[in-house]
Amino acid sequence: MKEVENILKNRKKEMDNIEVPNDLEDRLLRALRHKKVIKKKRANWKVRVAALLIIFLLVGYNFDTLAYYGKKLIGYDTVMNGTLRELNELEKGQIIGKKYTFDNGIILTLDGIMIDENQMLAFYSLEDPSGKIDVTDMTMSQNNFKGLIETYDNSGGKGKSSEDGTEIKWISSFEPPRFFERNLSFRFNLIGEDISELGEISFKIDRDKAMGYSIKKTINKKVEIEGKNILFKSITASPTTTVIKGSIDDIISLAIDEIKGERYRANQLNFDLIANGKVIDNQGSGMSTNLKGITFHKEFDTLPTDLESLKIKFKSLSVVEDVGKKVSLKKGKDNGNIEILGETISIDDVYEKNGETFISLTTEEDTILTIVYLLADGKKVKIEETLSDDYEKKDMGSILHNRTFRFKGTGNELKLYIEKMTYTKESDKEINIPID
Amino acid sequence: MDTKQLIKRAKKGNKEALVKLIMAQEKEYYKLAYVYMKNKDDALDALEDMILVLYENIGKLRNEDKFYSWSKTILVNRCKKMLKDRSKVVLIDGLSSESYEGNLYRKEDQILLDKHMSKLSEKHQEVLKLRYFLDLEYNTISEMLKVPLGTVKSRISIGLNKLKESLGGEGYERS
Repeated sequence: MKEVENILKNRKKEMDNIEVPNDLEDRLLRALRHKKVIKKKRANWKVRVAALLIIFLLVGYNFDTLAYYGKKLIGYDTVMNGTLRELNELEKGQIIGKKYTFDNGIILTLDGIMIDENQMLAFYSLEDPSGKIDVTDMTMSQNNFKGLIETYDNSGGKGKSSEDGTEIKWISSFEPPRFFERNLSFRFNLIGEDISELGEISFKIDRDKAMGYSIKKTINKKVEIEGKNILFKSITASPTTTVIKGSIDDIISLAIDEIKGERYRANQLNFDLIANGKVIDNQGSGMSTNLKGITFHKEFDTLPTDLESLKIKFKSLSVVEDVGKKVSLKKGKDNGNIEILGETISIDDVYEKNGETFISLTTEEDTILTIVYLLADGKKVKIEETLSDDYEKKDMGSILHNRTFRFKGTGNELKLYIEKMTYTKESDKEINIPID
Repeated sequence: MDTKQLIKRAKKGNKEALVKLIMAQEKEYYKLAYVYMKNKDDALDALEDMILVLYENIGKLRNEDKFYSWSKTILVNRCKKMLKDRSKVVLIDGLSSESYEGNLYRKEDQILLDKHMSKLSEKHQEVLKLRYFLDLEYNTISEMLKVPLGTVKSRISIGLNKLKESLGGEGYERS
């Protein structure tokens, strides 16, 4: 019990060293000052939470994708009247132009939508024509499109408000409506002082205006890296984005690994999408572990219209893997190298100082001994700290990572117990995607 | 100016007085927010949230001696609400991603602590953090969280046991 308490108390030291940000006072005053302007309206914490929710949606999940929309949005500038109409003339979107007026006079306008295989983009604005209400203070956490049976939720978006805050324009991404939908209803929950009202705008989908897709292909090709099978399943390239989906191993091999005690988790998967010899910008990615195994998706910018060649170039896979290995150590500098999961760990030095044991080791740059203990005469000692984290650049471009672990206590018979290890495997395998 | 006077002024709507009250214990407030939010930006957001709620509700504070525990309770509740709303957002996305942070700069046993702490239920994590990371007394925690003293004590002891089990349970004899 003492030991657990000690680990917890170590964190206290860390907390005590935390420095209060210099701008705390400013921020508190500013928050209150802002309050003055809107005090009558009692814009409360809900607004702030809503703002946070939106920020989180933007930053937390879809950062890269949104950066993209952001870029496009600035490119669109006043997206509602200029470019959207232009796109519409090119038959790339549907102008709706319908309004809903809330009880407090705020007007919601759904300017238009764009539907393609990957998403439905909605362009809408909120405006107080009297110029008094700061619409950015309104909570609009819940907005979605309701179809026949299904509801299509907002998966992120970006808004831009006028300087006085009485108008805000949004471009948001929703799941694309199913093929059978004919009519949709845009539902918008406006929550503010003295108002909590559901606004609804119904319209008919003009399927002729839907952009469809340029490529939707099954890839179904495997790349094997260090015994892990990475299956690239499909690519969907639409006029707004390109999505690649796949999986890493299936549930059966995961289960077998689990039984064998060789459980691992993919940490990061890196690959490029190359079209006509050029790398397409990555916009975001996600990975999840569920009953189907580990699945991933990665989003890229749109493909060029004059597509000649398309390939996936694999870069690296980083995994966290259970090791559960004990390595006997001798004091001194002649422990040599050990090999774990194909990674070389060079044990440079083992020494005692002031009743503590120090172990210096070198690995490749991306290899981390995620969980490691010292077994001193059979007693399990947790790591106290990692000293002198150094990276050493070698010829040939590889980088070595030297560090020293400090453990409390000493022993005659020393063993290093490596429970979990994170490592990265590089590969330059390529998958060609035929275009036809 | 002493605390009492500042509170009186804050009650009359003096914003500077309210901020001064908070700044007098800035480190306590910041650390408290940080323990919940785990990073600077979110901690600052939570504190901003808190001050707005304080400003609106300070009129309702009858016992002025309780200003600090009252405001810290509000801070804790704001933090929890923010975290809860956030988890909802993740659910909407339907993303059950599990990833390990390969943080090079964090001590490896601290990573381990985070990992095992996260296995405990929220209420157990919470009391352990308040008790050990912030070194708060049992009765302070009880007042802040509005739960009986006995409950705080039992949560801490259960939390400690579970943490110990969890830390020791992933044994080194498995290989």
